[in-house]
Amino acid sequence: MGNTHSHHDDHSHDAHHGHHQESFISKYVFSMDHKMIAKQFLITGIIMGTLGMAMSLIFRLQLAYPDMKFPFLESIIGHWGKDGKLDPNFYLALITIHGTIMVFYVLTAGLSGTFSNLLIPLQVGARDMASPFMNMLSYWFFFLSSCVLTYSLFVENGPASAGWTVYPPLSALPKAVPGSGDGMTLWLVAMILFIASALLGGINYITTVLNMRTKGMKMTRLPLTIWAFLITAVLGLLSFPVLLGGSLLLLMDRSFGTSFYLADIPADLAGGIERTGGSPILFQHLFWFLGHPEVYIILLPALGITSEVIATNSRKPIFGYRAMIGSILAIGFLSFIVWGHHMFLTGMNPFLGSVFMLGTLIIAVPSAVKTFNYLATLWKGNLQLTPAMLFAIGLVSFFISGGLTGIYLGNAALDINLHDTYFVVAHFHLVMGSAAIFGMMSGIYHWYSKLFGKMMNESLGYIHFWLTFISAYCVFFPMHFMGLAGVPRRYYANTAYDQFNVFVDMNQFITIAALLGGFAQLIFLFNFFYSIFKGKRASQNPWKSNTLEWTAPVEHFHGNWPGEIPHVYRWAYDYSKPGASDDFIPQNVPDPGQVDEMQEPDPAKFEPSRTSAPAATQEVVLFSALKRLFGFARS
Amino acid sequence: MKIITNVLRAVALFATILFFNQGFAQTAEEGAQLFNANCTSCHAINEKVVGPALKDVHKRREEKWLLSWIKNSQKMVKAGDPLAVQIYKENNEALMTAFENLSDNQIKSIVAYIKAESEKPAATATAAAPGSSVSAESATNTEVSSTMRGKINWLLIIIAVLLFMVIALVLDILGLVGQIQGKPVINWNNINSKLALLFLIAGMGAVIWEFAAHTKLTVNSYDGASAHSNEYDSMFNITFYLTLVVFIITQILLFWYLFKYKHNKNRKALYYPDNHKLELIWTVIPAIVLTVLVIRGLKTWNDIMYHKDEKAQLIEVFGYQFGWNARYAGNDNILGKHDFREIGKVNALGVDPKDPKSLDDVVTNELHLKVDQPVMLKFRAKDVIHSAYLPHFRVQMNVVPGLPTQFAFTPTITTADMRTKLNDPSFDYILLCNKICGGAHYRMKMKVIVHTASDYDKWMSSQPKFVQNAAPAADSASTNTQVNVSVKNDKTLASK
Repeated sequence: MGNTHSHHDDHSHDAHHGHHQESFISKYVFSMDHKMIAKQFLITGIIMGTLGMAMSLIFRLQLAYPDMKFPFLESIIGHWGKDGKLDPNFYLALITIHGTIMVFYVLTAGLSGTFSNLLIPLQVGARDMASPFMNMLSYWFFFLSSCVLTYSLFVENGPASAGWTVYPPLSALPKAVPGSGDGMTLWLVAMILFIASALLGGINYITTVLNMRTKGMKMTRLPLTIWAFLITAVLGLLSFPVLLGGSLLLLMDRSFGTSFYLADIPADLAGGIERTGGSPILFQHLFWFLGHPEVYIILLPALGITSEVIATNSRKPIFGYRAMIGSILAIGFLSFIVWGHHMFLTGMNPFLGSVFMLGTLIIAVPSAVKTFNYLATLWKGNLQLTPAMLFAIGLVSFFISGGLTGIYLGNAALDINLHDTYFVVAHFHLVMGSAAIFGMMSGIYHWYSKLFGKMMNESLGYIHFWLTFISAYCVFFPMHFMGLAGVPRRYYANTAYDQFNVFVDMNQFITIAALLGGFAQLIFLFNFFYSIFKGKRASQNPWKSNTLEWTAPVEHFHGNWPGEIPHVYRWAYDYSKPGASDDFIPQNVPDPGQVDEMQEPDPAKFEPSRTSAPAATQEVVLFSALKRLFGFARS
Repeated sequence: MKIITNVLRAVALFATILFFNQGFAQTAEEGAQLFNANCTSCHAINEKVVGPALKDVHKRREEKWLLSWIKNSQKMVKAGDPLAVQIYKENNEALMTAFENLSDNQIKSIVAYIKAESEKPAATATAAAPGSSVSAESATNTEVSSTMRGKINWLLIIIAVLLFMVIALVLDILGLVGQIQGKPVINWNNINSKLALLFLIAGMGAVIWEFAAHTKLTVNSYDGASAHSNEYDSMFNITFYLTLVVFIITQILLFWYLFKYKHNKNRKALYYPDNHKLELIWTVIPAIVLTVLVIRGLKTWNDIMYHKDEKAQLIEVFGYQFGWNARYAGNDNILGKHDFREIGKVNALGVDPKDPKSLDDVVTNELHLKVDQPVMLKFRAKDVIHSAYLPHFRVQMNVVPGLPTQFAFTPTITTADMRTKLNDPSFDYILLCNKICGGAHYRMKMKVIVHTASDYDKWMSSQPKFVQNAAPAADSASTNTQVNVSVKNDKTLASK
């Protein structure tokens, strides 16, 4: 490895002492080590994901076989599945909780939480997050939130069932749907806890990236993963508080008789108090002001992981590094001014619709740049088709298929007939659902050895990939046609409509494909948990990758590097560089004859990166992060 | 006591309605129409939907009880009627819509219909479910075949599991063999790159098959039924062809590269980190294409949304859990005032009976339109957000409580013409709810009928005006006046 050539920060020697005394509780439960927290996020995310997936299979059975009875349902969901028939109200609850779990608990916390935590300190060259304590809190808020949401499945009237977007008045009036009773209150509490978790995590990620990079790690030398995590955290930090406000107002409408979101609701529907003067549309604005950036909060980390995995396994530098950063920044910025495209038909002024349409379609430009850059990276590469690489390719394929239908839906005029149909379901399950899940899978296969020190079984990985990939397309591609025929989403059955009932065969095909996909995830779960204990021991740098995390030893301990933190001399993508003997040059290897500008001691500039007890100097770190935020171009 | 008052009131209403609507026969046939118009969003005969299955309800409950329950179940629950409370609890405290507008005779004819249906064998009754024109026999067939297919599907899954286990075993053995021989038996890199090529070819084939098989089911595959449909469809087609080209090119490149550039020990990848000219090309070209789409889209959007027509006929569409009403503005083309506090009290829509403008309004539970006559639909919701979606007309607008919304368009093809075009005599336009609104969301729909001008006028003149129903009730204790929402569905007109 490059360690022999590399220079180290020889002022930092006090970082990793004391980890021997860790008790079981402080090591595995209330751990402040970012790697352990990453594992906690991942495993909680996987458990929640399994739950969400199981729910989707139950309602897929209902959609495919509306006339059939499934006696096993009664044993799983009790009176909601009486005589093996799914209750229509519980169907709504299932789609609501499926959406909530997948969007927030799996693809926000499970994906961004896992990989931001694991990779930010390791790839920027820091011993831990800026505030390990806040980081720990971030996980435990998330854990608490998961518990509250899971608990809400068991309350008397069932969990929230107003759709994952919980539009009032449906979500505000307990009489409107059974799930808007206690289940909805718990949903809001879970969401508020979740937002607290996301904010604690996000501020930490930003601070760490801006402030704790090792010597030589300029912003323009950061791997694209870190850029993606950074912008993701900024998006979350700016948009989650808006949903927090929105949720609190909804909670007040539900529990304290206010009417922020309620207009013209007579007293007998609304708990004895007449509600006037509010606006149901206000909630939609507040929700989508988070909700749209949320799409990119989900997608950007997946794209970041993909960039890294594709470059490593193509043995080629990522094509157009600066254009990739530019498009991440552009997507991040634009994502804040397009939320109205979810609301073209709410009765919003059509002129506003025009504005939101313009912004929405512009996003296609940076997205196209990213796609073409991925293709250019693959061109004339030397492709190692590892499971991680295949999942990354799968992401690109979904990103194209699902992204293109966004051009239809972002067009206000076309949205008139496509809004809330299966076309929308197909679109976002491809571009956001499948793509982000594939990004997450790619990350898990790629960094499994960093997480657990073991390798996953590759053959099972390939089977998992191909089954999942084929089943995802079989599930979501046909849905476009249902949408074009006008089949609305969130329908318990299409039996009341002759024109929609013709899709019963297609629905059965989709459900079988979904069952196949679910089965493929069992392979993954087996592989994942089996390999933790029985997997092959990992080598230090199994994929021959350039980034800093592969210079750290396989064994975990608090502080990441046993010796000094490595210095950085190059960008992360020197693969197959002409003249080099290997086809990769790690970031900590200097060019022969390069003057090491880092040897000049500059304590003021690099003080924070040597912080050994970060909790004690939290204020210093946060404060100087702010300074850097406004002037980081200089660094 | 309350029940007695209710009964008294019911008798009084009965008298009133008898006076104005003579000739209502208590027949199952009429009951069938009423049932389909009012009940099917929550009930079916043989299965539980949102409300319980209604089979043999005439045997389970007394008629008197049924009458007051259907008119206002909440009143009975609040009054503490033990049976009412029990049913309310059993059904997850879901509210049943109060049908105070239905006369006793009408309710009795619904019960007569349920009775007739209950006496038929089960499969037949399923066929009588709303909107389905399937005959009893074919319904039985599909049911049998779907269970058969279900069994086959389960079998397939079991086979897949076994197959997987065999594959896993073989892989394991091959892995061990490879270890002994010192070089892997399976070259996964080769296999995966070939699978990628196979996926590309098979996938593209599947896409072509999919388009061939399912395009005809989409609403874009035949003429839209409104004046703006052409502009909408051409916008759609432009987007479709552009995205199709990009889809095909990029997917082919992606999987072709996987095949072509698979790993080879003796080859080194090309170090190619940047090319500004290339990047400029693939930034500028998408930007130009999207500019075209944006300009075109803005024009279409503005043409549709800012469409103003002074002559447009005003129709109010009223959405509630779980059904729709249409209120026609009458000769003055002005809708009478309404108040959300009066919904279900003065009348089902909360329309002010004292407002002179409301006197010529007509309320129905089907939407009747005149061909080539511009209409302005004004939307109003009673409880939660609904969305009025008319896919054949390319029309959709959310229906929001407290926020008036509207959509103007011109229907251009009559129901009869569309039936000939599609060669489907049972075809009907629909207006359906497209925003999640509760348990029976999936059944919340309204039939839309487009008439020729003369048929429309004939139909309209047969409708009772609001004024006819706004006459004072005979019972002086009751201030209730009735809007007749239970219109005779004029089948002869619709089928013309």
